[in-house]
Amino acid sequence: MAEIDHFMPLLMQHEEEGLICPVMSHGSVHFMWIKHSNLYLVATTNKNSNASLVYSFLYKLVEVFTEYFKELEEESIQDNFVVVYELLDELMDFGFPQTTDSKILQEYITQEGAKLEVAKTKVPTTVTNAVSWRSEGIKYKKNEVFIDVIESINVLVRWNVNANGSVMSSDIVGSIKLKTMLSGMPELRLGLNDRVLFALTGRDKGKTVVMEDVKFHQCVRLSRFESDRTISFIPPDGESELMSYRINTHVKPLIWIESVIEKFSHSRVEIMVKAKGQFKKQSVANNVEVRVPVPSDADSPKFKTSTGNAKYVPEKNLVVWTIKSFPGGKEFLMRAHFGLPSVENDEMEGKPPITVKFEIPYFTVSGIQVRYMKIIEKSGYQALPWVRYITQSGDYQLRTNV
Amino acid sequence: MPYLGSEDTVRELRRALSNPNIQSDQLRYRNTILKVIRAMSQGVDVSGLFSEMVKACATVDIVQKKLVYVFLCSYASLNPELSLLVINTLRKDCQDPNPMVRSLALRNMTNLRLPSLVEYVEQPLTAGLRDRAACVRRVAVLGFAKLHNLQTNSEIDAAVVNELYSLLRDPDPVVMVNCLRALEEILKEEGGVAINKPITHHLLNRLKECDVWGQCEVLRILQRYRPQSEDELFDILSLLDASLVSPHPPVMAATLSLFLSLCSGLPAVSLAALERVRGPLLAACGSMSREMRFTALCHIQLLLRSVPGLMGVHYKRFFCGYAEPAYIKQRKMQVLVELVNDENVAMLLDELRGYCTDVNTDTAQSAISAIGHIGRSYSDRCLEILTGLLGLKQEHITSAVVQTMRDLVWVCPQCSDTVCLALEGCEESLQDSQGRQALLWLLGVYGERVSCAPYTLEVFIDGVRSETSLGVKMELLTATMRLFLCRPAETQDMLGRLLHYCIEEETDMCVRDQALLYYRLLHCGIEETRKVLHGRRSDPSLGVLIGRPAEPISQWACSFNTLEPLRQGTIETESASRGSPEHVTFDPKPNTDLSDTLNYSHIEKVHSGSDSTTQRTDSSADILASNITVPLSLSLSPALSPEEFEHLWLQQQALHAEQDPEKMKEEEDYTYMEERIHCPAIPHCSPQNLQAAMQLVNIQTLAFTPPHTLPWRVYLYTHTQRTSSADMTHSTLILGELLYTGEANQKVRVKKGTGDREVVVEGREDVQIKEQEEATGDGLSGRELSGKDGEEEGVKVTLKQQPRDDKALKGFLSILTTVLHTLSSDRA
Repeated sequence: MAEIDHFMPLLMQHEEEGLICPVMSHGSVHFMWIKHSNLYLVATTNKNSNASLVYSFLYKLVEVFTEYFKELEEESIQDNFVVVYELLDELMDFGFPQTTDSKILQEYITQEGAKLEVAKTKVPTTVTNAVSWRSEGIKYKKNEVFIDVIESINVLVRWNVNANGSVMSSDIVGSIKLKTMLSGMPELRLGLNDRVLFALTGRDKGKTVVMEDVKFHQCVRLSRFESDRTISFIPPDGESELMSYRINTHVKPLIWIESVIEKFSHSRVEIMVKAKGQFKKQSVANNVEVRVPVPSDADSPKFKTSTGNAKYVPEKNLVVWTIKSFPGGKEFLMRAHFGLPSVENDEMEGKPPITVKFEIPYFTVSGIQVRYMKIIEKSGYQALPWVRYITQSGDYQLRTNV
Repeated sequence: MPYLGSEDTVRELRRALSNPNIQSDQLRYRNTILKVIRAMSQGVDVSGLFSEMVKACATVDIVQKKLVYVFLCSYASLNPELSLLVINTLRKDCQDPNPMVRSLALRNMTNLRLPSLVEYVEQPLTAGLRDRAACVRRVAVLGFAKLHNLQTNSEIDAAVVNELYSLLRDPDPVVMVNCLRALEEILKEEGGVAINKPITHHLLNRLKECDVWGQCEVLRILQRYRPQSEDELFDILSLLDASLVSPHPPVMAATLSLFLSLCSGLPAVSLAALERVRGPLLAACGSMSREMRFTALCHIQLLLRSVPGLMGVHYKRFFCGYAEPAYIKQRKMQVLVELVNDENVAMLLDELRGYCTDVNTDTAQSAISAIGHIGRSYSDRCLEILTGLLGLKQEHITSAVVQTMRDLVWVCPQCSDTVCLALEGCEESLQDSQGRQALLWLLGVYGERVSCAPYTLEVFIDGVRSETSLGVKMELLTATMRLFLCRPAETQDMLGRLLHYCIEEETDMCVRDQALLYYRLLHCGIEETRKVLHGRRSDPSLGVLIGRPAEPISQWACSFNTLEPLRQGTIETESASRGSPEHVTFDPKPNTDLSDTLNYSHIEKVHSGSDSTTQRTDSSADILASNITVPLSLSLSPALSPEEFEHLWLQQQALHAEQDPEKMKEEEDYTYMEERIHCPAIPHCSPQNLQAAMQLVNIQTLAFTPPHTLPWRVYLYTHTQRTSSADMTHSTLILGELLYTGEANQKVRVKKGTGDREVVVEGREDVQIKEQEEATGDGLSGRELSGKDGEEEGVKVTLKQQPRDDKALKGFLSILTTVLHTLSSDRA
């Protein structure tokens, strides 16, 4: 019996006892696992290994597989088992991570049989290349770069005894994504309204932002960023995430929710939810979804909304109130009424928070801006950078006071 | 898992594989092989196709090659003879102009894992080391590690090792890191790859070129390096500074680990490094991945052991999200308990109260016990919450609350009034045996203050026949006995019934024996019984130290950034479910063998630093110190829990009491010593200062009375380790009490044992005793101590050592004296 065969029974056993833990042991073997959709990715070790390294690697596997199969799930593994074998072979040798950059892997592993004859004679350029994330000889008719600045806000709001909502914690997680369609080996330089940069250069005009926990794609020259905050790089071809950051400021919740949930045992639940857009009047939040939890034994829903649609999702014990477009400064109302059975469910139920989903285009909460994007290539072509801003909800929770 | 009809499948596949028509058609041939691999992946035993697959190996199609290799590597061990046939093809592939083919062949050659093939593999591997393509060299380097793993007993080929060392200078960073990995594996017996100054500097310079995995590997291996000078050390540290705040948690953690190992002699630098990683660590706690979050939390717990205040202001980052898994919530609560302070306690308790009603019962119970922990320092607020929770009448909540209250009352006896009030009526919603045991214990100990105690016990006694839990029965016996002592009238009858049942009908021997013991005890008279049953109570005059004492970083540094911190917590929570506080047994943590000892040189430093002060007070300490000729080191591990300390202390007290008080007590495994130290300001010293000072020399203080109270006392312990002869090390455990009564005319009995000669002095006012200063003159054995009127500032030190080791005890005493004098003069 292979060691991995102990994994599932062990997991079941832990699940039953309610003691799920990302590390489990069987004899001298430790299983470190992550779950992705309906798949378990398991690493085994019998040493006192570096845990964070192992988990990072497992997540890297997910990332690589997803890039190959679009969706990583049981079916995609079954359909692509040959590629899975090939990938694992390249990703790891004798338990040591080897090549994990998906761009490079794509040159080692050719999915289609048809491409194979070419691969036989062509040595992957990156095997010897200094710029491992970009191959030479890329050509586009029209040279363009698309820059997406995406910010997600995480908010946790709680009500105290006096029904005053207060923001317990909030932060902004931002990410700048690129879609590069440029020929040759272009040199790019990105300018942001970074406060540290402005302070360095002695400039002091307009709004600036302070970024924390900045992470870059490996293509960015970190030494330059550290010395003079310049973000300069040779971009990977196609889509990639150039950088991510976190801003730890007190953010005003962009969509404020007030709720009154009254539960009359054995008869009914009455819910009143007020949503208010606390952002600029010119902006519009799209696809707003307010998810309000209801007791699992509620029945016969009735709704009244000032705008949008409310829908009961019994399998998730939620009312989902959808507003297609929500202008800033406006206030909307939803009332819901549910019946409760006379025989009460005595199982204890948690108190899930109200969650909100939304996206606001052409707007960033932090005020971050792309000031310029310089593109220099030795052939001297002109290229256009396109910038798009979007703010969306991340982990946006408002605890209820029932 | 054998599939139905697997034989048919194999037969069909074999037919297809050996069909010349298919063999000549590239695409059909490959599809057939694909089918074989698919069957293999699904668990069909296709090992019978081995010879057909060997033939399919000779092809120009890379995908087909890869597929065949997957097959061969899975089944090679079943067909060692046939595998020999593959070697030829593989060796030919090693000459292929395409580097991908070469690396593929080389990798699979080493993956076959057949010792019989080693001789054929060595030559292409050696050639592979000098291949011009980096990807081939990468494979070749690791190939040697695999070969060594295959035959661990074989001799290490020095030529290969040299070649690998020289490849550390390879232009490709992955080749360099693989060399480190391979050498580490091959030289495992010799302690891994040797790291000298040029290698270290080379690796550090190339760190930036490596990917995340490579950086972690390099940083880990560099932990073995010891810089030759302080300048070099700081050069290295400044080079590593950028990685310390790396956005990749594994790199950040590996760098911190390296920092801690390099700076093990420089606590201030280590602390600065910990401050520096706070940001990245907090960021990792908010990582998208649950597992990374979990790992970060576990490591933060390690840091907090040494720097409790590190995350204080960021406590909100450890609030639990609704959808987080239980294992993260529990860790977060453990961290929150550590972070509590006067400013955030209200907010924190409010948040924890919310978790008490979590749907997951384990989470709810952890939250309740977390509140109990905070209750040790903020008892009123916590008791209010706990009492409120009882009102919910939920079984698992009530059980956890009662257990928490029991533990709280043991450490903070002043809470007992509130607890007694809360107990009324909660037996109705108690189902599990742990909760009922806790209730019974409380009823036994505080029975006189809980009005309904006898009635509650009666219900238990009436139902004892159907009781299944052994623990509950034992606890019930003890509780009824205790209640009988304070409320005999109401309890006598039911005690009789219970004893009768347990002795006559009970089938479990433990319960029966316990009942018999109590029965016979009652025959000895009520006073005797009282003595036995009320023997152990916690001392209300002793406040428990708030929070855990800060440990030295070296205590956990070696387990940082490994799997161990992730596993530790589970052990702690397991031991958290236990019986009454009296029965608590302390499970030593699994890492105690990573013992951290303070070496003698450090103690010397303490001495020299405090010379000026000791001179002034001029006590016996200097003589003592100079008398130590053997290296002595103190250490805090294995840690001793307060309960365990009390147990040992009282046990030895009892032993001592049995002896004739006028005679010196001397047993083989245990020694007892009392001593007076002249240090007037000590009892006015703040507990924090005293604790910090003691910790500097690895003495752990366990409990204090607040300053300025009388009698003032402190309990402490340490482990000594002394190298007597070549390899023999003696290690002993020393327990100590510092007592300051402040009364001048107290009766002081001074006892000390020094080898064969015992000197016992009854110190009384009328006895003329020499001043301490004079006493120091004639060395150790003749030393006498003063108990005169004027000497009221003397702190009485009682030491208990196990096993006996006089030299170590003296050494310890001298260290202790020095610390006390230093502190005392600091205050003055």
